[in-house]
Amino acid sequence: MENSVLSMHNVVKRFGEFTAVDEISFSIPKGSIYGFLGPNGAGKTTTIRMILEIIKPTSGEISVLGHASALDVRNRIGYLPEEKGLYKKMKVWAIIQYFARLKGMDKKAAKDQAWLLLEKYGLKDFAESKVEALSKGMSQKVQVLSAVAHEPELVILDEPFTGLDPVNQTVLEELITGMAENGQTVIFSTHVMQHAERLCDRILLIAKGRKIFDGTVAEAKATIPRRVTIETADDIKDLHAIAGVNEIVQLAADPSADSTVAQWQLQISEQVNPQDILRTCFDRGINLNRFEFTEPSLHDVFVHLVGDDAREHEFR
Amino acid sequence: MMKMIRLIAWREYMENVQTKGFWLTVMIFPVIFIAMFFLTTALNNATPTRYYLLIDQSGQYEQAVATAIAREHQRRIMQEFVGYLLENRKDTNLELMAANARSTTDQFIDDVDADQFAALDAFLNDGGLDFALTMARPYLKDNAPPFEQPKQQFIEATLPSQVDVNGSPQEIIAALRPYLTGDREISAGDESGSLFALILIPADVDQDISRPGAIPQTPDTTKGIQYWARNLTDSRLPDAIGNSINNVIREREYVSLGVNTQLVRNVQRTRMPLNQLDPTAEAGEEAVSMADTLRQFAPMGFVYLMFISLMQSVQYLLANTIEEKSNRIIEVLLASVTPHELMMGKLLGIGMAGLTTIGAWLLSFYLFITLYDNNQTELISQILEVILGSELIPWFVFYYFAGYALYSGIFLAIGSLCDTLKEAQGLMMPMILIQIVPIASMFFVVLDPNNTIVRAMSWFPLFTPYIMMNRAAADPPMIDVIGTTITLLLSILLVLWLSGKVFKLGVLRTGQPPKMLELLRMLRSKI
Repeated sequence: MENSVLSMHNVVKRFGEFTAVDEISFSIPKGSIYGFLGPNGAGKTTTIRMILEIIKPTSGEISVLGHASALDVRNRIGYLPEEKGLYKKMKVWAIIQYFARLKGMDKKAAKDQAWLLLEKYGLKDFAESKVEALSKGMSQKVQVLSAVAHEPELVILDEPFTGLDPVNQTVLEELITGMAENGQTVIFSTHVMQHAERLCDRILLIAKGRKIFDGTVAEAKATIPRRVTIETADDIKDLHAIAGVNEIVQLAADPSADSTVAQWQLQISEQVNPQDILRTCFDRGINLNRFEFTEPSLHDVFVHLVGDDAREHEFR
Repeated sequence: MMKMIRLIAWREYMENVQTKGFWLTVMIFPVIFIAMFFLTTALNNATPTRYYLLIDQSGQYEQAVATAIAREHQRRIMQEFVGYLLENRKDTNLELMAANARSTTDQFIDDVDADQFAALDAFLNDGGLDFALTMARPYLKDNAPPFEQPKQQFIEATLPSQVDVNGSPQEIIAALRPYLTGDREISAGDESGSLFALILIPADVDQDISRPGAIPQTPDTTKGIQYWARNLTDSRLPDAIGNSINNVIREREYVSLGVNTQLVRNVQRTRMPLNQLDPTAEAGEEAVSMADTLRQFAPMGFVYLMFISLMQSVQYLLANTIEEKSNRIIEVLLASVTPHELMMGKLLGIGMAGLTTIGAWLLSFYLFITLYDNNQTELISQILEVILGSELIPWFVFYYFAGYALYSGIFLAIGSLCDTLKEAQGLMMPMILIQIVPIASMFFVVLDPNNTIVRAMSWFPLFTPYIMMNRAAADPPMIDVIGTTITLLLSILLVLWLSGKVFKLGVLRTGQPPKMLELLRMLRSKI
């Protein structure tokens, strides 16, 4: 793919007998926000480590920013690992400066950038404190800042939202969208679907090391049927005639409700406009007590696609 | 790449020198040294008075024992006087030898050094301390303090009234046992204290004199002179008494055999000078001086310094690696630098911290001898000058760095395998024990630096830095120097290469330290 900042082709990683990543291929366009989703133990962190060449794949090809090895372009990548930690005895500004310098920034620029970021993200008062004096959430923010201080072209954040309060989660979301607007590509892994839904242009869903889905959020939602729920006492057989209505099932009646009223669920194709169904109901004189159309959420997609795997994992 | 290594090294260095523990280590060594300095001075002046009892049932040897004790006291006076001279004479010269002695004091010091007994005889014959003081006066510094005589150390106690001097030895011992074991105190004049020793000479002791040619008898502890004392380490008193009494009975033998005793004494005082010569020294300088002896023992100091400093450094290395590992900082680092750069940076940074410690020690030592300027410290600074002027410094620098590279490589690998210091301790212990071997044998190596066992030990790479440093002053055979250096350098390369591997694999793993088998797999793996 042109404009691709990162692509993996048939990448496999085995640890002894255990296959952690199995034949994964995907490609990430420049400037996009890309979500790595999957249940715990799906292979997200292993995939990320291979991208960074902290570990090498057993087989397959990886191309990062046009290079076969991330080591050649590591100054253009920013990385926040899943398990967070910083040098406890260092001052907040110094640690951001240190990591920025490890990415090739010069001393003065790295220091200026550290102070700029700390001011921008409300940590200026803590700049001279030692890391051990910070709360967990604050030190995580510092770590995010130290990962992106050198303004990398590719930012990889492994579970960046865990441990942050809702306000700081929003701050982080703004940081991510800001970077994307700036032309930086952001990859982040999460198992909180709301973040992915709000932020991601594209998502990669993996489970048990295998790719389950790769595409836009809209495409992901299309993988599960759209449903319209109606409640009426009238006969609904006319609705079968509408093109794109695939199946109508009667839902189990609510025992407390009026027994003459039935609930129906209609599975409809992607191209069907729910308004057409509503119009047909009016035309045929079907009296509706309730008409409900809900877009599937990414959460539904996740449960639908990997629900069994995720549950199985819990009991392993 | 160099830039990254420098950056990591600098951070490691700053992190360590900013800890309290670092400065504690830096401070504690000079503090202990200075405390030891004052303590030994104080201990020297505070040797306790020791009370003894003499029961001479034979009635022949009382005088001999008194002579022995007086002589022992004079020996101490002479010894202290030599120390006093060394500290207080003008233009001290440690390179002094009998051949280049420029004054009678120098001659005197050398004589005492060469043959203490003969020197003591001469000392007493010449008139003892009074003469020596007069003789030394012109050679002493103007500001020299007056010589303080040591106290009488052995004082005869008063016999408790309940002891029957003429009773059987068993009865006497039974009566005095509580004093000897320290249960009761014995009085001596106005003072009292525990009884240090009882010398019991039975009436029929002369029957027990053994002569050459007699039929060997089974050893019998009830025969001869009985010396009873709890303290088994201070042998000065029994030695002096034994010598003195033997002198008496020998003199009696001479008389009974019709030999002129004056003649014998003169013969006994004849002596052939024995010069210690060093075949490796240049012509005309073969004689062994005090400075030469100092140089022989100096390696021990270097070995010790090396041990302390290396132990400190590798502990830091271990602690820092484990911190990065348990905090998972290592992952961020490895996304920015290669494991090789990280490892090198750490080795360099901690190495610098170790050098800072040594530097701080030397500086405080220097400040101490400059600021606390008296005759004693001046002697120390002269000793130091001799050591620093010797060829040992390049050896030390080489073996310090070699030892550091070798041991730090191993400890770094250990650190990379463990999540907590507690886990690391189990793996560290064998490495520390291995270092105990050369440290414990330090003294023996100096005494016999080129014997076969020592030579063999030098070839074991983990010992090489210590043992070869220890042997450095004794001109070890070229084959040892070159051979062990090559094996050492090869081992360093091997250790750094292998620990690099373990480091790469170890830093990212979590959980318990690996089993032996897994470790072997790590060493074999290609990454």
